[in-house]
Amino acid sequence: MDKDLFETMRLELRRGSLVLAVLACLRTERYGYTLRQALAADGLEMEESTLYPLLRRLEGQGLLTSEWREEEKRKKRFYVLSPGGEAMLAALTDEWRGINASLDRML
Amino acid sequence: MDVIERYLEAVAAQLSTEDREDIVAELRDLILSRVEAREEELGRALSDEEREAILHEIGHPLVVAARYRKGPDSLIGPELFPYWLFGAKAGLIVIAAVQALGLLVHVLGDPANFGQSIGQAFNGFFSGALTLMGALTLAGAIMEHYDIKPAWLTKWRVRDLSAFGLADPAKWGASMAGSDKAKAEWMPKSAKVWGVRAEAPRAAEALWSFIASAVFILWWIGAIRFTGIGDFALRGGDVSVTAAPIWSLLFGLILAWAVAGMAVDGVTLWLPEARRLQALLKIPVAAAGLWIGWRLFQAGHWATLTQGDQTARVMGTSPIHMDFDAIHAIPEAQRGLAETALTLGTVLSWVLAIIMLCLAVDILKALWRIATTRD
Repeated sequence: MDKDLFETMRLELRRGSLVLAVLACLRTERYGYTLRQALAADGLEMEESTLYPLLRRLEGQGLLTSEWREEEKRKKRFYVLSPGGEAMLAALTDEWRGINASLDRML
Repeated sequence: MDVIERYLEAVAAQLSTEDREDIVAELRDLILSRVEAREEELGRALSDEEREAILHEIGHPLVVAARYRKGPDSLIGPELFPYWLFGAKAGLIVIAAVQALGLLVHVLGDPANFGQSIGQAFNGFFSGALTLMGALTLAGAIMEHYDIKPAWLTKWRVRDLSAFGLADPAKWGASMAGSDKAKAEWMPKSAKVWGVRAEAPRAAEALWSFIASAVFILWWIGAIRFTGIGDFALRGGDVSVTAAPIWSLLFGLILAWAVAGMAVDGVTLWLPEARRLQALLKIPVAAAGLWIGWRLFQAGHWATLTQGDQTARVMGTSPIHMDFDAIHAIPEAQRGLAETALTLGTVLSWVLAIIMLCLAVDILKALWRIATTRD
C-alpha cells in the first residue's frame, strides 16, 4: 500500500470530523492547550496551528464564545459552546450518526 | 529578546493590526504552556535549542499567521483553478500558433534572416506567455478575493462548451493533418468538445482559416508587408512588380470577401451546431469568391514586371486554355524577364483555378448540408 497516499486520504477523512470533535469537547469550558490535550486523550491529535485558527473561526461564526481569564498566573482565553453552537453540535451529531450508520452497512 | 518573543514578533508582523494583540497573546500562552509541560517532564529548564524545537513543531511564522488570515487562503482556489488552467492552456496554444504563423510568414518573406526570425518567435512566445499567465493569475486572484462569480461560471450551457476544445493540442494537430486518415489519428477518440466527433476537424480548420484570413487582410490593407512580393532579384538586375489596374478595381470587393470569410469562420467556431446557418452563409461567400476569380481571369493582366527599361506582363491563363504542358515547361524556362512573367502567370493561374474549384466544391457541400441537416 502507498503510505503517502494513505496519509493524504487519512487526513482528508479526519478533516471533516475535527470541527465536530472540537464542538463536542467545548461543551465544557476549556482554553486552547487543555482542549488539545482533551482531544489527544480521546485519540484525536490536532496541531496547534490548525486548532487555534479553527477556534477563532468557530467563534467568528457564532458557535463559540470566549473570554480572557487569569489562571496559573497567566491570562488564558477560555472557549465554550454558545447556544448556537449547541444547536449546531446537535444537528451535526445527527448527521454524523447517519453517515456512520450508512458506512457501517457498507463496510 | 528570547527565541519565543522573536518568533511571536515574526508572526505578529504578518497579522492585521486589529487581531494582532489578541492572537499573539493566545499563541504566547500556548507556547508557554507547552514549554512548561516539557520542563515538568524533564525536571529542568529548557535550553534555547529545545524551545526552538517546540516552535518548529508549531510551525513557521508565515504558515501560522496565514492560518489566521480571513478570506481565501489561496491565490486561485479549487473552484476557479480549472478555469485558470483552461485559460492558460488554451492561451498558450493560441500564442504558440500565432507565433508559428508569424515565423512562417517571416521565413517565407525573408529567408536570409531565419535565425533572427526564430529568435523573435521565441521571444514573442515567452513574453506573450508570461503576460498571459500574469493577467490570468491577477484576474483569478481578484475573483477569488472578492468572491466574484460571473454568470459563465454558474450558468453554463452544454451547447456553449465547444470552445473548450481549444485547450487540447491534439485538436490543433488534427486540423493541420493533411489526410483524413491522419486527422482521424490525431483526433482524440473520447473528446467531443468541438461538437460531433466526425465534424471536429471542421471547427479547427475554421480557426486556422480565420487566422490566415486575418493575416491576409492585414497584408491587403498594407498593415504588414512581406519582402520579396513587391520586388525580387533576377539575372540582370532587380525586378519590381506593379499590380495591374484590376486589383485596384476589385480592392474593396476582395477586402469585403475576406472579411465575410472570417465572419463565416467565426460562426463555425462559436456556433458549431448551427450547421445549416454555416452552410447558408458559405454559399454567397464562395459564390462571391468565384465571381472575383472569374473577373481576374477575364481581366487577364495581373501584374507588370519591370527591369531597367524592360517590362513584361504577368497574364492569367483562362481555365479553358490551361494545360499541363505549360507546367512542364516551367523548369526549362529561361530566367529572363519575359519567361519569368510567363512562369508567374502560369503558376498563379493554376493556383487561382484550384481556389475556384475548392470554392465550387464548398458551394456543393453547403447545398448538400442544407438539404440533409435540420437544426
